[in-house]
Amino acid sequence: MGMLIVSILSILSFELHARPISYSGGSTIMAFSDNMKNSLYYHYSPSYKYSVGIEDIKDKYFRDKYSYLRFTYLLNRKNTQTSQRNLYFQSGVSSKGYDEFFYGMHGDWETRRLFVGFGIKETKKNMQDYTEQFYQVGVAPYLGNYGDLHTWIMLKTKENSLDNKWSTYPVLKFFKGNSLVEFGYNNKTEWDIHLMYRF
Amino acid sequence: MGYTFNVQVLGENMKKLFLLIGFSSMIWADNPHEHMDHSHQGHQHNELVDGTNLEVDFERYNKFIKDLTGSQIAVINVQGMVCDFCARGIEKTFEKDINVKKIDVDLSKGKVLIAFNNAHTINFDDIKEKILINGQNATDMEVINL
Repeated sequence: MGMLIVSILSILSFELHARPISYSGGSTIMAFSDNMKNSLYYHYSPSYKYSVGIEDIKDKYFRDKYSYLRFTYLLNRKNTQTSQRNLYFQSGVSSKGYDEFFYGMHGDWETRRLFVGFGIKETKKNMQDYTEQFYQVGVAPYLGNYGDLHTWIMLKTKENSLDNKWSTYPVLKFFKGNSLVEFGYNNKTEWDIHLMYRF
Repeated sequence: MGYTFNVQVLGENMKKLFLLIGFSSMIWADNPHEHMDHSHQGHQHNELVDGTNLEVDFERYNKFIKDLTGSQIAVINVQGMVCDFCARGIEKTFEKDINVKKIDVDLSKGKVLIAFNNAHTINFDDIKEKILINGQNATDMEVINL
């Protein structure tokens, strides 16, 4: 049933839009850590419309280890001279079985100076289903040129249905060339760390 | 496997997703006709067909064209190139083209500068396609012969 739902959602999302997502042949590797999980995620974009990847997860909440076969699709992108706005569909099927999976959406709008983003994700697990959501705003304190070190100061708020508590905290994001590092700290959820490299 | 499919919970979340999808489709959908879509294939010039001049950071441009005598410089206006990370794919794509001698990205003006061999015929449709597969839209191009 889980696989069927993910498949239906995937097909449906293809019918809704057919816009580029990234350059063809691009790969990305990401490491992520927060109060819920540590993960290592590799994805590849066969075309500019979507990416497929593998995420290896150490689940801190359920004290479990598993992997997701992931699929991300760009539902919509709007480019203007000064901004870009994206809306993505994301999904994944667990190595634990087809009845453990997730699906959700995340979106962002950014200019060179401002950033607004959100995400909502529904995870189905045999032990307990849960929903996660986040909202994020940011500002670039300076406008760097191509190749410079770029910096973002952000504010992120997130919640999951397992503890039903909102957590709001500052996040700093730096990127230069093909590398990105993002980290935030909250005394309730401790560190969020996100590393990314594109090649 | 002890799994119970919770139709109600899933249904509520699906409603949120579909509302977002539907909303985005109605409000945010790209309109392909809003982009200026000039074809510059087969001719070269320092001014656009419609008479408008492209805005260029001349300091950056002059630095770029140093030692490029005998080249053609394509100055391409690109929409959606709002961050360094976004533009990396453009550079990588054009670096694979054997006719490209040099490339630069001007984030502040939203321009990509590409130096081609003089013998190469610059095809704007080809450039637009290469920028599109990176996720941005090329709207105009000016070709300057050095």
